[in-house]
Amino acid sequence: MGKGHVVIVSSSDDEDGARSRSAKWCSSKSKSLQSVSHRNSRSSKRARLSGSGSRLFTESRGGEEVSFDALYDDFHEGLQGFTVVSGAENRNTNKLWVDKYRPLSLSELSVHRKKVEVVKMWLEERLRYYTTVRRMPGDKVCNCVLLITGQAGIGKSATIHAIAAHLGARLCEWNTPTPTLWQEYMHNVNSGVRYMSKLDEFESFVERVRKYPLLPLSLTGASEKPVILLIDDLPLMNGRVAYKRLCNCLFVLARSTQIPTVILITEYAKVESGDNTTLDWEELQSSLESAGASKITFNPVTVNSIKKILSRICKEEQCNVTVEQIDQIARSSGGDIRHAITSLQYFCLRPGLMHSFPLSTLSTSHSKEKLEFGPLDDGFSLLRGRDETLSLFHALGKFLHNKREAVEGTGFGQDHFLLKEKLVRLPWKMDAPEKVLSQAHGKARLIADFLHENVLDFISDEAVEDAWAVASYLSDADCLLSTHLSGATSPQVITSKYELENIAQLAAASVAVRGVLFGNSHPSPSRWHSIRSPKLWQVEQSSKRNKTLFARNRFEACSSLNSYTMSVTATELTPALKWVGLKASEGQVTQEFFMSSKMEIDGSDWESSDDLDTEAMGEDDNDEIEEW
Amino acid sequence: MLWVDKYRPKSLDKMLVHEEVAKNLKKLVTEQDCPHLLFYGPSGSGKKTLIMAVLRQMFGAGAEKVKLENKTWKINAGSRTIDLELTMLSSTHHVELNPSDAGFQDRYIVQEIIKEMAKNRPIDTKGKKGYKVLVLNEVDKLSREAQHSLRRTMEKYSASCRLILCCNSSSKVTEAVRSRCLNVRINAPKEDEIISVLEFIGKKEGLQLPPGFAARIAAQSNRSLRRAILSFETCRVQQYPFTNNQVILPMDWEQYISEIASDIMQEQSPKRLFLVRGKLYELLINCIPPVIILKRLLSELLKKLDAELKHEVCHWAAYYEHRMRLGQKAIFHIEAFVAKFMSIYKAFLIATFG
Repeated sequence: MGKGHVVIVSSSDDEDGARSRSAKWCSSKSKSLQSVSHRNSRSSKRARLSGSGSRLFTESRGGEEVSFDALYDDFHEGLQGFTVVSGAENRNTNKLWVDKYRPLSLSELSVHRKKVEVVKMWLEERLRYYTTVRRMPGDKVCNCVLLITGQAGIGKSATIHAIAAHLGARLCEWNTPTPTLWQEYMHNVNSGVRYMSKLDEFESFVERVRKYPLLPLSLTGASEKPVILLIDDLPLMNGRVAYKRLCNCLFVLARSTQIPTVILITEYAKVESGDNTTLDWEELQSSLESAGASKITFNPVTVNSIKKILSRICKEEQCNVTVEQIDQIARSSGGDIRHAITSLQYFCLRPGLMHSFPLSTLSTSHSKEKLEFGPLDDGFSLLRGRDETLSLFHALGKFLHNKREAVEGTGFGQDHFLLKEKLVRLPWKMDAPEKVLSQAHGKARLIADFLHENVLDFISDEAVEDAWAVASYLSDADCLLSTHLSGATSPQVITSKYELENIAQLAAASVAVRGVLFGNSHPSPSRWHSIRSPKLWQVEQSSKRNKTLFARNRFEACSSLNSYTMSVTATELTPALKWVGLKASEGQVTQEFFMSSKMEIDGSDWESSDDLDTEAMGEDDNDEIEEW
Repeated sequence: MLWVDKYRPKSLDKMLVHEEVAKNLKKLVTEQDCPHLLFYGPSGSGKKTLIMAVLRQMFGAGAEKVKLENKTWKINAGSRTIDLELTMLSSTHHVELNPSDAGFQDRYIVQEIIKEMAKNRPIDTKGKKGYKVLVLNEVDKLSREAQHSLRRTMEKYSASCRLILCCNSSSKVTEAVRSRCLNVRINAPKEDEIISVLEFIGKKEGLQLPPGFAARIAAQSNRSLRRAILSFETCRVQQYPFTNNQVILPMDWEQYISEIASDIMQEQSPKRLFLVRGKLYELLINCIPPVIILKRLLSELLKKLDAELKHEVCHWAAYYEHRMRLGQKAIFHIEAFVAKFMSIYKAFLIATFG
């Protein structure tokens, strides 16, 4: 292994626009040059991972080409394998472990063996087909595209690289060029270089791949090596048009390509991108599949295999991390092995931090429980933990459905207080509410409004006391939320009070959520409830509208030198005017007022708020009037 | 024009109720320099009528030529500027506004607007008063800060500006403000006073009043003269000539609240609570002040309630009324009260009837 020739498709930035226009297959014999240029083209994309450190490494250790060339052969994101590169020496280099312990062979991959096997089979088959049959005229390879999806950091690219190395195939990659800055663009415009959008570049690349599939082979001369095309990073598209173009482009590629092509698509957790990009990706996948691509989904790496790898790294690096700590890191990584390794390195970098954490005082089982039940006070795990995000509605659903364990959990152990029978609640089937809240990024006011609107649906019909408990907690939350109104309101004070207010907000959200969870001790049997958006907002708006209307009419209608206060207008004058205006049209002004107010009220949310009742009321009124 | 406005006495001499107060005020205004005034008393007792009459007494007919202004004030409050829109009625001699309309920003209104107004001192020509009058409504709804700055303004600009404050309850006005004003309490008119006013209007309108009819209206008016006159006019529109057994309709929102009350008494469940919430929303849309809703709802509920529960229910109503003032969104608190009532009432029903 390690002898794979990496062919680089460099479609570079616009600084060297000439190159980008004639981006071509280039490959070089010189290994050191190859790796350096490779790094350069990749580094921008992976700056967050390697940064300048890796480049440093390349330069400082330029002599030992063979050893690190092997590393770079598989320069991709999975990190499952490790090569022993003289541990002590490596400790001092600034290399990130993620790059250092890249998997190089199939055995080092931590992706599930079967998944790897499937991908390998597929590639093998295509390659055999390609190498043997391709020269026969009229023969068509039908299904040459493999689509691999999965969340970030689970070793998609690493798998492909490892397999390619294993099969001795050459990997051609499409690397998305770095975005052009506006200044760069201006600079280039002056120097007469035409701007080319990334999507254009990608399109022309695909075009070339389709038209001249054999070109690289003749160039390199090593014609016996089969080629695998890897499209790792699809260009980012904004808007419908760009998306359509990309879709078409890929579709055509999937249809016509003759080289085995692997397309990697990273699935983001659905909630992370609020917009509809996830939808687009799904659509893209299905369109590719319809073009005959086969799809393989990678699952997140299991905790056990992450643990195995982490402990191996620890051994290599000779840092003593306890089993529990590794366990914690593995758990909090959420199946993202790249993240797990990075946090392990970070963790080992700061031994002081590690010792200050009183982990040793906790028994193993207890610390585990702490993780499950009280992750909030576990600041240590949060330090390295991958923060999961939740959508607001997901969080609301959790609170409203109020799922609890069937039996009293034993997890609380010592901190079990003696509570009155009616105050005891079963433990939650979820994290602490505050944590869920912080994951959902919900504003307290918003949360309270939503809970208020929806909670009654979830309380069983018999339990009015629960309804009261919930309502009373919500009322408490509302009081907390409006503390800034009763306090001093001058802007100077506001800025200094900001912290305080923030705490009030947090407290209010907590009170609202916990109140709902606690109060609803008899949840109605779970069935489908849709979560409504608070009608309160609507009510507030139309109330405001009516208020301005009253204010406007207050003067004209009463036509006196008196301005009535709002409450008087609303409670006494308006109803009276309605009566009077209906029958006696003596005053033109009153009539007008009535008309306009009537219209406004019809147009507003009267009917939507409670259709039947209003109508019934209106009819009553009319009936009684007409009787006389 | 509604009768309430049509038969509003224009001058202090023509007052039908509170003649005594009117007489004193006239003496005060004509004979000496007028101090700041604070009128307080229940709604519909004639505070505003008196204020207008006082203004007329001070400035003559000029005070009646008012125009409505919807002015936007730009207030420079340290780091940012605040735009406040406020409706005000003004003549050449006085300005009337509701500072509490500005909500929690009322202190800016009080500080800036009043300051500016007070600075523009009218020219002291002969026979003219050397000051403007500022009428502030609903002073009791002002926040503490606003009342505090009001006090400063009063001290600083008392030479060029007189304040006439008007509110329902003087207990919500700070001591400092109260002590700087001449406090005038306006009682709610007695029922026979109301009757005499109604009869006066009836005579002017040329209506035949059956005996006891005015008394019935007065009894229903809760001693609010405005209320009485409004329902008098409503009755006139409904049916004339009046009959002795004519129904005097309550206001539609009051009817609606009593509907809500009977809803609550009928069934106590979260579902019913939800229905009640919908109805409460409707009242709020129509700008019925939440405090009034809660008050009315309580009295409707008390009507139908067993005596032993009354105390507890009142306690909770008071509790949530307080909460409502602390909080922002009234519906949360009204609903909490309704839920509490339901829970109390249900427990009571189960205890008594099993």
